[in-house]
Amino acid sequence: MGPTQRPWSVDRRAILKTGAAIAAVQFASPYIIKARGESPVKIGFIDPLTGVYAAIAQSEVVGAKFATEEINKKGGILGRQVELLVEDSANDVGTGVQKARKLIERDGVNFIVGDVNSGIAIAIAQVTSEKKVLHIVGGGHSDIITGSSCNWNVFRVCNSTFMDANAIAATLMEKFGKKWYFLTPDYAYGHSVQDGFEKLLKAAGGTFSGSLVPLGTADYSAYLIQAKSYGPQVLINVMGGGDQVSSLKQFVQFGLDKQMAVGGTLFELETIRAVPDAARVGWWTMEWWWDQPGVPHVAEFNAAMKKITGGAATARNWFGYASVQTLALVANQEKTLDAPKLAHALSGYKLPPEIALQPGTPEYRAGDHELMSTVFAGEAHPPKGDPDNMFSVKNPVPGAKAAGPAEDTGCKIQWPA
Amino acid sequence: MTQLLLFNVTNGLIVGAFYVLMALGLSLILNLSNVINFAHGGFLVIGGYIAYAITPYIGFWGALLVAPPLTAIIGLAVERVLIRPLYGRDPLYSLLLTFGLAFIIEDGTRFIFGAQGKPMTIPAFLSQSVSNELFFITWYRLFMVAVVVVAVTLLFVLLRYTRLGIRIRAGTLDLETVAALGINVQMLRSLNFAVGIYLAGLSGVLAAGQLGLEPTMGTGLLMPSFIAIIVGGIGSLPGTLAGGLLIGVASGLTAVFFPAASEAVIYVMMAVVLLIRPRGLFGEEGMMS
Repeated sequence: MGPTQRPWSVDRRAILKTGAAIAAVQFASPYIIKARGESPVKIGFIDPLTGVYAAIAQSEVVGAKFATEEINKKGGILGRQVELLVEDSANDVGTGVQKARKLIERDGVNFIVGDVNSGIAIAIAQVTSEKKVLHIVGGGHSDIITGSSCNWNVFRVCNSTFMDANAIAATLMEKFGKKWYFLTPDYAYGHSVQDGFEKLLKAAGGTFSGSLVPLGTADYSAYLIQAKSYGPQVLINVMGGGDQVSSLKQFVQFGLDKQMAVGGTLFELETIRAVPDAARVGWWTMEWWWDQPGVPHVAEFNAAMKKITGGAATARNWFGYASVQTLALVANQEKTLDAPKLAHALSGYKLPPEIALQPGTPEYRAGDHELMSTVFAGEAHPPKGDPDNMFSVKNPVPGAKAAGPAEDTGCKIQWPA
Repeated sequence: MTQLLLFNVTNGLIVGAFYVLMALGLSLILNLSNVINFAHGGFLVIGGYIAYAITPYIGFWGALLVAPPLTAIIGLAVERVLIRPLYGRDPLYSLLLTFGLAFIIEDGTRFIFGAQGKPMTIPAFLSQSVSNELFFITWYRLFMVAVVVVAVTLLFVLLRYTRLGIRIRAGTLDLETVAALGINVQMLRSLNFAVGIYLAGLSGVLAAGQLGLEPTMGTGLLMPSFIAIIVGGIGSLPGTLAGGLLIGVASGLTAVFFPAASEAVIYVMMAVVLLIRPRGLFGEEGMMS
């Protein structure tokens, strides 16, 4: 079929003419140039929306979307609307890096937020620091993100594993004793948590043993037999997500909850919801909690989340929310999108109460860029009243106390010249 | 130490029994239809979630009876629409198809039921240990083993003494001759596929009761079942039975000495078997080619 036979007749000349006309209009008309200046500020949001962390990643997206709406209602960033571009890292380092590059190079995002998986977060941080893009890690916990692998452009909302371990360790030792058995997932996050606990336990003169468990193990009976034969006072369960659900279920089915205490760092609300009542036990840390009587703005945020998800707000909702809000706050304060300027401004930046949603005004510590957020140590239990009232905060530990001095994290921030 | 070893052998047999249930379904489909069903874990998830959805209405026991046949019906539809057109081609086609299907099922489950895991309630008396000494043997796990024993026995009776079973076994050996004798091979394959998926659905309900539900749960349970088939020998159902129990015990024993390797050990076993005796422990020569 020749070009003349086409039902629509657009020849090469017509295309060239149109192209030239569009180009001319761009130069001639100030209106279009102005409109381009008002293009939205873009935030790239990378999280493992599929795979084992899908539930918590999706919670973060809900919080981030809600923050974006709030910001846009109040006039956006520098008077421009904010657009949130959500990408799935598929819980894979290569995919995460690829998505970060795509967001920065093709979509031209101004900021990056992500990832739940610490390994991916660290890999993305290499891209963002190379491309000079301000980067907030909402929910990846490994110590090195704000420790030995810290970067001038990377800030973190969730706690480091050491902060969580530090906040709960004293409680576990005092209440139950110093002979512990670790059930630890065999990858960076698990090792990081166990190292933190070991240091604290050794310093207090305790003893321990443990099993490194492959990620995604379905059956924990063999490890629990090991644990029981060691006879610990506390079983430290470091497993996450579905692994934590399976291991806790079997722990309770075997009646081990009557012979030893169980606890650890995270037992997130998303995970507590996924286990039956009998397995809602143990002493843990929450990194944010929806029920904080007397703390301003928390109830409003919780109500807003409940309207969207049908359940109480989770720490992950807050991570997503606080990450995006931080970017808007600091950019509007500094009246720029320039990453090095904003990173300097964020060092030591205090979150206002309506975003912090916790006692005090936590700051992004200048020494390591870690948010000094309160750690809520407490006990899990079956629902009391509200179906999501499955955790009682017993001891809120201020972030700075849990984190220890910034010098000890091993972070040395190298600013770009 | 002896006690610890004994515990782990027993425990390994219990874990292995579960793999057997999964692996038998896989093996049936592989033997007759040459389909390496990567979506088997997906069907396990479907079975588990169906049980979760209907438990509030008909209870755990009802769900245990109803969910597996419902899963088998879904399997039948999948076989008819997606897999049947690929029978004439290289097994790679159906492998790729079922591989993709596994992802679709996982995402579909996430879309319908949410990414968050779901707790499955089982009768209270089942979730207790048999005794303080044998704390790791709960009534539920014993019940699981009993179900596996019954299912395996029924399957062997079906294959040994019924017309359908004899045809399936004949088809496994020489499908062309079976077809030439006037047996409807399409129907035979469909029924065989349904029986395999029934076993996946049954595994799903049992796994849900013990471990809870998660859209990704199928993946972790699928690989050991594949390895059970390879170790036991492709083409041999008794081999699959032995393979499942063997890898359960091996993984349990490794956990005593070197916990981090308890998963890797089954892959090592597979590698060793493939190197020394490629047909597997009970397999027939040439089934791998």
